[in-house]
Amino acid sequence: MSLLEIRGLTKSFGGLTAIDDLDLDVAEGEIVSVIGPNGAGKTTLFNLITGVYPADGGAITFDGVELVGRDPDAITRFGISRTFQNVRLFPDMTVLENVMVGRHCRTKSGVIGAVLGLPSARREQAEVREQAKEILSFFGTRLSGYRHNQPAFVLSYANRRRLEIARAMATGARLLLLDEPVAGMNPRETAEMVELVGRLRDEKGFTLLVIEHDMRVVKGVSDRVVALDYGRKIAEGTYSEVAGNDRVIEAYLGKKATA
Amino acid sequence: MVPATTRAVNRGLIIGGCVVYFLAVGMFERFTARPVITDLLTLGWTVLAGLWAVAGVWAARTVLPPASSAPDGDEAGGRTARAVTHAALAGLLAGAVPALFLLLADAINLRPMLINAGATMVNALAVDDSAVAGALRLVLAALVIATVAGIVASAPAQVRRVAGWALGMVVLLALVEPLLRVIIASLGLRTSWLYQRGGLGVSGAVIALVLGVAVGVLRRRDTPTTARDDGDDGPRARLARGGRIAGLVAGAVLLLVLPRLVGPFLSEVVGTIGLFAIMGIGLNIVVGSAGLLHLGYVAFFAIGAYVTALLTSPAAALGTELSFWAALPIVVLVTAIAGLFVGAPVLRLRGDYLAIVTLAFGEIARILALSDWLRPALGGAQGILAVPAPTIGAMRFRDPQMLYYVIIVACAITAFIAWRLEDSRVGRAWTAMREDEQVAQIMGISISRYKLLAFALGAGIASVSGALFAVKIGSVFPHSFDILVSITALSVVILGGIGSLRGVFLGALVLVGLPDLLREFGEYRMLLYGGLLVAIMILRPQGLLPNVRRMAELGEEERLQDQWLKRAGDAGDPEPAIATTKTDGAS
Amino acid sequence: MATSSATTESAEPPASPPPGDAGGPQLGLADRIPLRRIIRWGLAVALVLGIASGAYQTLAAGVFSPAQWRDLVVFGIAQGSIYALIALGYTLVYGILFMINFAHGEVFMAGGFTAFFAARAMDQAGFLNQQPVLAVLILLAIAMAVSTTVAVTLERVAYRPLRNAPRLIPLITAIGASLFLQYSFRGLYGEDIHSYPRIDALTGTWTIAGIPILRTQAIVIVAALALMVGLYFFISRTTMGRSMRAVAEDREIASLMGIDVNRVIVTTFAIGGMLAGAAGILYALVFRQVHFLMGFLPGIKAFTAAVIGGIGSIIGAAVGGLLLGLLEAVAPFLLLSGAGIPAPNQLKDVIAFSILVIVLIMRPGGLFGSREPEKL
Repeated sequence: MSLLEIRGLTKSFGGLTAIDDLDLDVAEGEIVSVIGPNGAGKTTLFNLITGVYPADGGAITFDGVELVGRDPDAITRFGISRTFQNVRLFPDMTVLENVMVGRHCRTKSGVIGAVLGLPSARREQAEVREQAKEILSFFGTRLSGYRHNQPAFVLSYANRRRLEIARAMATGARLLLLDEPVAGMNPRETAEMVELVGRLRDEKGFTLLVIEHDMRVVKGVSDRVVALDYGRKIAEGTYSEVAGNDRVIEAYLGKKATA
Repeated sequence: MVPATTRAVNRGLIIGGCVVYFLAVGMFERFTARPVITDLLTLGWTVLAGLWAVAGVWAARTVLPPASSAPDGDEAGGRTARAVTHAALAGLLAGAVPALFLLLADAINLRPMLINAGATMVNALAVDDSAVAGALRLVLAALVIATVAGIVASAPAQVRRVAGWALGMVVLLALVEPLLRVIIASLGLRTSWLYQRGGLGVSGAVIALVLGVAVGVLRRRDTPTTARDDGDDGPRARLARGGRIAGLVAGAVLLLVLPRLVGPFLSEVVGTIGLFAIMGIGLNIVVGSAGLLHLGYVAFFAIGAYVTALLTSPAAALGTELSFWAALPIVVLVTAIAGLFVGAPVLRLRGDYLAIVTLAFGEIARILALSDWLRPALGGAQGILAVPAPTIGAMRFRDPQMLYYVIIVACAITAFIAWRLEDSRVGRAWTAMREDEQVAQIMGISISRYKLLAFALGAGIASVSGALFAVKIGSVFPHSFDILVSITALSVVILGGIGSLRGVFLGALVLVGLPDLLREFGEYRMLLYGGLLVAIMILRPQGLLPNVRRMAELGEEERLQDQWLKRAGDAGDPEPAIATTKTDGAS
Repeated sequence: MATSSATTESAEPPASPPPGDAGGPQLGLADRIPLRRIIRWGLAVALVLGIASGAYQTLAAGVFSPAQWRDLVVFGIAQGSIYALIALGYTLVYGILFMINFAHGEVFMAGGFTAFFAARAMDQAGFLNQQPVLAVLILLAIAMAVSTTVAVTLERVAYRPLRNAPRLIPLITAIGASLFLQYSFRGLYGEDIHSYPRIDALTGTWTIAGIPILRTQAIVIVAALALMVGLYFFISRTTMGRSMRAVAEDREIASLMGIDVNRVIVTTFAIGGMLAGAAGILYALVFRQVHFLMGFLPGIKAFTAAVIGGIGSIIGAAVGGLLLGLLEAVAPFLLLSGAGIPAPNQLKDVIAFSILVIVLIMRPGGLFGSREPEKL
């Protein structure tokens, strides 16, 4: 059974059908890329999976558990986390705090523990801090050391994207949804990100679903590629299969002019 | 006319309008009753002078660059001349407009409509002279003051700073006279060298000026931007830490002896400050941590007071006559549950709707408390009387000086709770919710649970304040619980800085303490609150003491980067270290 | 396809709660969603039952005669017309700026209160009763002018600098402005309650279609109606009205289309001010008393009306106002005296506030709401 199973997913906004009867499978440990022209419904798909939008129809099953209709925080507890197309960090919280917040759903100390300074709460706090630092060390020196206590808004753009990934990692998810992780990066940063995505799977065992426009990235990371257009799946397969697919080319470039 | 000159003219007119407002509302007259320098200068005229000075500075700014640190030079000289001209122009208008108003008030009886613009105002303005003479004097005074202000505004930064501090110190010392005089007197010292009959004596004014100049000069040497810091263990840091501890100890000692130092009346004032500080802390959690604008906060305050009265007073319908301490936990619990009830339905509501609904709740609570329908239980308009004072053994905490201690302890405990929550899982969840609710939820935080928690905790804290209030007054009336209390609490939080614990105390001190210190403000308290809220939102929405932790971290970053750079330089190998930092910054 | 499992390092193997684990606590959550809905439905049912039973008891007991009910209804419509005029101001501003102009009640007060002095002067000169029509028109003009000035100044000083601030900041500013205006007017005009002088020509009743209606009430209803119709034509037929609608739809695009957004916003505030000023005079005709705090309650109630009708919708504001006026007039007696609650009139405001709470919780979009205040 796949880790993530989507069957017949449908979502409309008023008169506009954003996702149309979509089927999708993601097996554990896979890296699947979702591509498609703008407006194809990719981010909507992410929003549906994470529970931000309620689906109009269909089913999303994660490890056997039905996701449709659940609150986003519950879905995160099940093990799905994401990053955002336009980086949405907590700007005034420090780098470390941003990641520590990610650990929230895996911890449980409350008001009493915090106020009274109970040993269990203190232990948990120290643990969370250590875990956050470890996660940040995954990114090398870029987010380490003195960076820990800097407010997130001073970070460079690429570092912000990395921090967002760190935060998503901290939630203890099994499935990471990355929404355009290299948008706005230069070639060197993009190459680093490709490497990072691979490491996320190889070293940390995450399953990844990635929305991406940059075909170099898609080619570099994906085990499988899914192409959407107008909310419908139009192609699926390896990178070369999908890249050469006529319908996909048509979706991006338009119909071939008949000579 | 050159655009800058037009702007200066406009600004002069606007200030002129403000002066007329100040006159028409009656503040000028009231304030002339309060001396700043006895027999020489009253508060009313000080404000007028201040407004005209503002006109001068504001008009000068139409020509000067914002942070005028430009060195003196020929070109700067020409600019200065223009700035001063503009200042004079603005001053002229800022004086002419009220002068005309004065003539009008003298010619026609304005009192039927503008009740404060009658003959007494005219007399106060004209200083018992003819209206025409008074009007001319106004224009002249405005012109002179604005021009001088314009000259100062064009001067180098140090001059401006010293001038500002000197004048500010005079006004400050004059305003705190009720407090300072009592303190000095209770220490057994004479006060006549400083204060005379309610204001600064001549010698006092001189002392204030000198003090202000000194502070102004000294502050310049203290700019903390150079990286002279040598890390956490250096002697300088240890000195700073020691200084901080000493300050805390001194502060604690001061708090302990305060009631004896300032007497019963001011102890009561401090007590009220404490009550609002407690409410502010609670509201700070709701607004600042969870980002929920709660306009009905007074309802929880009221519930706390009423439940306390119901449980402890022999005159209440319940008949239980618990001691204050026994009743307190019940009060907090009941109010916290009420907080849940209020919070639950409004969870999904967006900011401004939430505000209005909570406002409605607050009003409903007040009207119900006032109603005849609930009179058997709540006493209607008469309220509940005879709330007994708390006792520990033989000590009765009824009079302000004793109750003060209870309030201080409650403040400390509440502040402690808030402080501990800040750097905790719960606090982080709230902060995340406040900064981006949707993302916080996607990161696994249950929004509804934490909003409810904020509501309940905020309610519980407010109830403590309410309980103490009931004891302080000895009875509870519905009239004490109107929306103005909510707005005051909100202003306390906002003035200090949303989310800032220290800010709450500062806010309470300023908003609750000062009006009692400056009795002439009493009638205009709400007006000033409202204006202050608007001004803060426009000028400095993060408040006076924004969340200190983050500000400290910003400074921290520079210090650490300097350290890194220095270490790299010392190691004789600048490239790697700087490269790391640079690529980090550039990537 | 590499499926290498996680290596041992790092603090967190990604598969933290295995699905079985996820099933446990999470089922509690799954319970909570329908629980909330159950509570809400339960409350709604209880509410309806309470209303029905109270109404039934009152009517069955026959405490009030049909004539009394009729008078209450007419009064409710008149009151509602006033609310509608004020509500329009709220809804217009909200439609364009998405902010609640909390100080709008004070805009209403400013006009009505200031015009009082003119009314008194005219009365002392005898002009008021000699030329009632002209006098009232003059009063209307004065009130509308003052209210408009206050509204426009408010926008310029307090709201414009915060045009792009997060939503709470303008709200807090509005609260501060409301407070400031209230107490400024107290400083200017004093804290006494003043009563508008009586206009003889408007005392007494007219009989319209067999129903005796107080003259003042009739005038209020007609005037309000006329103003609302005028507004409707303005919005739908004039260029400025079209611009207003465009800015309400999408401010950025409208400015790209060449519309002077600032001017539109100022005009919106001005129109809201004019309507509020007129409402001030109408209020004075019916209720006679003016006071520096007179704007607070009508302001909140008008806001309630706007919300009932769907904030952002002009028709909604009008309908909401009338509805609220009616409910407020009739409900205390209909529901509460039947339930044996003493002095139900005291709780008149509670009814209005409760309606506000209920509408915002149950159906924030109101009756005609186009702008559902989503939580996203």
